[in-house]
Amino acid sequence: MDSRMFGFIGSAALAIAAGCHSKGDAVPAAPAANAPAAEPVLVLGASLSLTGSLAREGGLTKEGYELCAKVVNDKGGVPVADKKLKLEIRYQDDTSKPDTAAQLVDQFNDQGVKLILGPYGSATTEAAAAVIERNGQLMADVAGADDKIFQKGYTRTFAVLSPATQYVASMVQALAELAEPKPTTLAFISADDGFSKTATAGGIAKAKELGFQVVAEEYVPNATADVSSALTKIKPKNPDVILGSAHMVESIAIVRQAGELGVKPLAFGATIAPHTPDFVKTLGPAAEGVLGSTQWTTQTAGSDKWFGSAADYAATFQKQFGGREPAYQNAEATAGCLALILAAEKAGSIDPTPVREQLAKLDEQTFFGPIRFNAAGQNVAKFMSVIQIQGGKPLNVWPKNSAQAPLKWPNNATAKAAKTKG
Amino acid sequence: MFGLIAVGFSLVWGVMHIVNLSHGAFVLLGAYLAWQLNVYFGLDPFLGMLPAGLALFALGYGLQRGLINLVVNAPIFITLLLTFGLELLLVNGLILVFTADYRAIPTSYAAHSLILPGDVRVPFGRLLAAVLAIGVTALLGYVFKRTRTGLAILATGMDRGAARLMGISARHVYALTYGLAAGLAGAAGAAVGAVSTFSPADAGRFTLFSFVAAVLGGLGNTSGALLGGLLLGLVEAWGGQLLPGTLINAVAFGVLVVVLAVRPQGLAGKAFYASRVEV
Repeated sequence: MDSRMFGFIGSAALAIAAGCHSKGDAVPAAPAANAPAAEPVLVLGASLSLTGSLAREGGLTKEGYELCAKVVNDKGGVPVADKKLKLEIRYQDDTSKPDTAAQLVDQFNDQGVKLILGPYGSATTEAAAAVIERNGQLMADVAGADDKIFQKGYTRTFAVLSPATQYVASMVQALAELAEPKPTTLAFISADDGFSKTATAGGIAKAKELGFQVVAEEYVPNATADVSSALTKIKPKNPDVILGSAHMVESIAIVRQAGELGVKPLAFGATIAPHTPDFVKTLGPAAEGVLGSTQWTTQTAGSDKWFGSAADYAATFQKQFGGREPAYQNAEATAGCLALILAAEKAGSIDPTPVREQLAKLDEQTFFGPIRFNAAGQNVAKFMSVIQIQGGKPLNVWPKNSAQAPLKWPNNATAKAAKTKG
Repeated sequence: MFGLIAVGFSLVWGVMHIVNLSHGAFVLLGAYLAWQLNVYFGLDPFLGMLPAGLALFALGYGLQRGLINLVVNAPIFITLLLTFGLELLLVNGLILVFTADYRAIPTSYAAHSLILPGDVRVPFGRLLAAVLAIGVTALLGYVFKRTRTGLAILATGMDRGAARLMGISARHVYALTYGLAAGLAGAAGAAVGAVSTFSPADAGRFTLFSFVAAVLGGLGNTSGALLGGLLLGLVEAWGGQLLPGTLINAVAFGVLVVVLAVRPQGLAGKAFYASRVEV
């Protein structure tokens, strides 16, 4: 729910806040390359959801960027031509609103910051991508997975992450390969934002291709904490698996309210939530056995000279952030930063055009898996991984070659009993 | 539960003529307080409604006396801005202190359901929240009709000048009202924590919902607000059966438009403070 009045007052307040920021930033904003007296720096701009509905995920993204800057600077900086440039990332808060994200990217351009690290989420990324294209900036998209962003012919936005269509499809694929006895009926619950709908469409297409029966396809409002209407409609169809394409709040609501309403599938799956520690903390034992798809796990194959392997990255992250395990949102943010650095190094320049040329040609193994872009700017070289909550921890179960544990199936004895009776 | 949030919102409007945009932030403060009590002392969130309500009452009382009273006679836009600013401060304060993580207060029973004939399931948590909301509103109604303090609040809402002449301290009554509203929001927040997830970003959603529910029921009318909240909840649940996704909101607001067109004074009927006199 959103109201025009809030929007109006919100944007007024924001305009005031943004005004203050830009004034404050005006002094150090001179492009780094033109400041020979100081230590040479490579400035990246990042408009992030630090407040608002995506503050949680935006915060994770920021941590990923901070880690990138720290590791790169600790190793002496980015080698560009014959200099080593210190990495400096400037952050602005887009309050989880696409139009603000677009404005902030424009502001970065006014300040001479041409290389941009993407915001969190598809809506903000889509808005920013249009401005990037117009201004001739260059953006590493780290969390905008919606395929729509890449169907507009933009040439200056490159996504390190797998496209949205893979999020649900990877879970369907994992079920087809690993679940024994194989489930037959699937129900889909999707939030109604662009990313989630694209992910659901990808999942349904995959399910039909693999011979599953799709018994329900329900859409719920984005960020709702109440999905009982959708579950009530699904209940009589008694699906084997309910797959949610949704964010944290909706995903928690699906599992929790299914319990309340007596909807008992063999398993739940949800796109982006289960991998985040909040999911298990909030749901407790109910989270057990839930499947999730993730861009990255600590088992992901590949390594690079800055961060090493995925396990090395996790160790560095834990050292920096008080022993906490990295979430995939942290890793994809760092990977976006890494892609820009690698491209700048190859280009021997920080000018957006040569960096863009190198980014388009990039073909590297990294801690995040392979990074190689197609003509639209999507990273088509890497797989999504599927995890399952086992013993309160997300463990990698698919693809098999990087699995930490076999899939527990069916994960829930009572569900199994109820199913066989039914 | 949403009804309980709306009751406080409606009260502040009715007595003080202030659209309290910080109301949603009070709900979250209550939720976080109950969460803290649960983490440190294992206190049940429904029992946590009492300390959360009391703490928020104290905060609300203080805020009104020290801050909002300064602009209580100012044009409505000033009070809107002040309470909106207050909301920003509180929400961002919550993000700083508690981070933007999603939280919930787990109980052993809230996710279990009462199974009625026809496989109708009523989750215990939500049932308890609804019963408490109705109970608290009934109690509030009793206080307003039967106690001197309650009558003083009503009287001040109707005609501040006359109330003053009768020896009622308007300042105290206003602070009491604002405290009550904040306390109700805090108590509702504890219940929200038990049946749902929350994070600081939810403040706007709670404020908006209470605004709509209060208008639907008739601004200033507490039982009307509860009725509005219940109706809105029902419309959303049924709307969800017929329409996908965000269109549910269209149904909910459609009902609001129809009610306002047909009964501008709201569902509950009499515009209690319509004849108010500003002195």
